[in-house]
Amino acid sequence: MSVGKKDISCPPEAPGTPLKDSDIKEKKVTYVEDHPDMRYAWTAGQAISRFLNELKEGKLIATKCNKCRRILFPPRIFCELCYKPIDDWVYVQDTGTVQTFSISYIDPDARPLKEPIIVAVIAVDGASKNMAFMHVLGEVEPEDVYIGMRVKAVWKPEEEREGSVTDIKYWKPMEK
Amino acid sequence: MFNEKIVNPNELRHWEGRIELYWIYTSGEAGDRFFKALKDEEKFIAAKCKKCGKVYFPPRMYCEFDFSETEYVEVSGEGSVRAFTVARLDKDEKPLEKPEIYAIIDMDGTDGCMVHLLGEVEPEDVYIGMKVKPVLKERGEREGKITDILYFKPS
Ligand SMILES: [Zn+2]
Ligand SMILES: [Zn+2]
Repeated sequence: MSVGKKDISCPPEAPGTPLKDSDIKEKKVTYVEDHPDMRYAWTAGQAISRFLNELKEGKLIATKCNKCRRILFPPRIFCELCYKPIDDWVYVQDTGTVQTFSISYIDPDARPLKEPIIVAVIAVDGASKNMAFMHVLGEVEPEDVYIGMRVKAVWKPEEEREGSVTDIKYWKPMEK
Repeated sequence: MFNEKIVNPNELRHWEGRIELYWIYTSGEAGDRFFKALKDEEKFIAAKCKKCGKVYFPPRMYCEFDFSETEYVEVSGEGSVRAFTVARLDKDEKPLEKPEIYAIIDMDGTDGCMVHLLGEVEPEDVYIGMKVKPVLKERGEREGKITDILYFKPS
């Protein structure tokens, strides 16, 4: 087939067909619909599995590389700098420093929240520099949070813990 | 030496997730016309280009070769088998009690075709070029979907 200008006339207009929700609900138009059941399971691996299991005991566990002497937190099974398996498990403290934070007024489904949540990256004491994890802050007003604020984990009661990051309810300011 | 690994699989953890997906795909102007005629009148609608005369099945609003408008024409719904395949597993790969025959059917009086099931015929008796005609669901059971056609049978 040749390419270029041909004896082609465009349709006079192609306005489209607006549809209302009711056109679908009242089956005024024909359609097909589907609701695929898409499930997945994501394995936590050796290091994070142990990390989660230790949360149930109210402990934060990290791993240690003897070559670069870093304490990796959350724990990893492999040191990405030395390119070798890690050497040991070590516990870190449930206190830390706010590295950065954000105030969210919407939930994960983008619905407005009555009370905003403060999401923070917390560098835990005992882990190496630039080792931090994300959690929420509590018992503090958004306007009082600052980078460098010292915080401590508030745990759920032991019987309610299930080996999840939510076993820590939130982190609260250490100073009063 | 680090050798303290989890060996009990029950201690290994995982997260489960579910992706919510829901969609509706409307048939469009021409498709809507096709399905409603099928459902309400047991008729098969095609669309003929006003300029070049190509007959589209399923119907289209515009000709894809010269962008001209089309006009709806009624066809018999009968056709002939262009190609076919015999499925012995369902979509979840479970063995089917009775094999299903899927065919591409060239529609008489049109330049188009459709994919559908063949019925009232054994797999070994199907051949390319076999003339077939549609078998529809009962009037009250039809809902304006391609499954309103149960299958095509030898004519
Ligand atoms: Zn290292
Ligand atoms: Zn045309």
